[in-house]
Amino acid sequence: MKTISEIWDHAIKNYAELPAVRWLVKKDIDEKSYKELDADVKRVQAGLAAEGFHGAHIALIGTASVSWISAYLALTTGDNVAVPLDAGLPAEDLLDLLNRSDAEALFLIPKAKALVNVVKASCPKIRKIWLLQEEEDAEFETMAAFPAVSGDVNVVPSKESDLATIIFTSGTTGKSKGVMLSQSNLADNVVNVPYTAEPGAVLLSVLPVHHAFCLVMDWLKGFSLGAVICINDNFMHMIRNMSIFKPDVVLMVPLMIETIYKRLSIADPSIPAEILAQQVFGGNLKIIFTGGAHLDPFYIEKLAAFGVNVLEGYGMSECSPVISSNMPGDFKAGSIGRPLKNVEISFEDGEILVRGSSVMQGYYKMPEETAETLKDGWLHTGDKGYLDEDGFLYINGRVKNLIILSNGENVSPEEIEGKLALAPLVGEIVVTGEENGLTARIYPDQDVVAMKQLSEDVVKAGLQQIIDGYNANQPMYRQITGLVVRKNPFHRNATRKIIRGDAEIDE
Amino acid sequence: MSMDKVMQFKTLVAQYSDVKVEDMTDDMRFREDLGMSSMSFMSFLGEIEDTFDVELDQETALKVQTIGDALKMMESKSEE
Repeated sequence: MKTISEIWDHAIKNYAELPAVRWLVKKDIDEKSYKELDADVKRVQAGLAAEGFHGAHIALIGTASVSWISAYLALTTGDNVAVPLDAGLPAEDLLDLLNRSDAEALFLIPKAKALVNVVKASCPKIRKIWLLQEEEDAEFETMAAFPAVSGDVNVVPSKESDLATIIFTSGTTGKSKGVMLSQSNLADNVVNVPYTAEPGAVLLSVLPVHHAFCLVMDWLKGFSLGAVICINDNFMHMIRNMSIFKPDVVLMVPLMIETIYKRLSIADPSIPAEILAQQVFGGNLKIIFTGGAHLDPFYIEKLAAFGVNVLEGYGMSECSPVISSNMPGDFKAGSIGRPLKNVEISFEDGEILVRGSSVMQGYYKMPEETAETLKDGWLHTGDKGYLDEDGFLYINGRVKNLIILSNGENVSPEEIEGKLALAPLVGEIVVTGEENGLTARIYPDQDVVAMKQLSEDVVKAGLQQIIDGYNANQPMYRQITGLVVRKNPFHRNATRKIIRGDAEIDE
Repeated sequence: MSMDKVMQFKTLVAQYSDVKVEDMTDDMRFREDLGMSSMSFMSFLGEIEDTFDVELDQETALKVQTIGDALKMMESKSEE
């Protein structure tokens, strides 16, 4: 299987009658079989072809839903390129990404339909917008615009080397970068992650669908195995949904595992472990795959007591995304597992370099950033690590200045610093990641303080107000939850650049 | 809101924070002062729904910053 259409054809051929997706409608579970989902995929594909979209970049703004996934598959098993975007981003960021990715059409979550007219006014290349809902809408086009088709759709699927998806990721230089992944980049990642399960295995998808880990490992890998993929409608309801869907496997970021553990640790100690596991995990959960940030091995041991095997892996969007992973029966706590078979690993000054068939084609329209990251086919990961004598990979530091929060989100501090530094009261600023949140360390502009004769309290309140104003438009993970007002300027090196490693020293 | 419910609410908060119930004040912020991560705050909102049998609208709930805000939100829910 070298393309997404080959993965999907294999699924349809082998699992047609099995359930493919389950989701909640109020309190009831609804589902679609592989065959029914395929009918949706085909009608959207036919509709796109009828509108003349071939080789086009088409964006999806939304959270996981059966409409989202059928649109995604229609694009990538056909001859178009999917550009999934984070629905939680502020409108101005979304407009920028739509323009920078050269998107020609957009599938949009109904909740954000206020964006339609803004997109029409600000993104001249976009000529069609559909709301991701089956029902018709009085004002806008929806998925109802795609009538059912019988038989095959006359679209020639993309080839192995064709671009399949552009995924945006935080850049260290401040501007997010569009990672270009080809059909075979994605398909090879699906094939080379050595996890297998019986058809019909139940998987609960709790991560954001625009993330490579969720998109490729929950959805594409899940489909390749004939799994039932259940949609967690909301982080708020993750635990409740585990008891509703009773998954066998869940992919999580470390912060979710930490949150669940907290819940387990405060439970009445007289409740037996298996009863508690049933209440919290639904009763069938055997495996949690985790990645995106470091997980303390403490949690692996703790969850094992509840019969749950936590398997940590490592990846990044640039590698489609999995690079290495612990596997059932082949794991070492504290490591990030063995590299996949299609991946070569080497090291340069301790930095992990990756080469192989899942490594991206480059950053979209960013040749300089691409050249900095991809050298002679080797992807420079920005992480430091080593391989042990048994071939397990370990991480022990970072080279690049990117904050990896334990929810797996990568945050570029410079991007946030740039925004906050616009306020006159902010003299110097460094954003650091601490205890699952971001802290702004600010040295107030002394001229402003002197001119307005501001007291310490007024300065602090003023800076908090600036941060509150910034937070109001940001998704939760990019909000600043700590403020440190500095008495002294930051230390600087010989070229007058702030020494970030010294940011916590204030003397 | 009854004192019982307020106590029940603060006891729930205490499960997600190192701050003791008796030390909680209405102006305390969930993330900054009570140390909740984004994920534990979301999980906490889910637990409020289950414990008090209310349905929260995520967008409104995410605007809640302090204990006082949350109590106000729940009061308006119980009036519905």
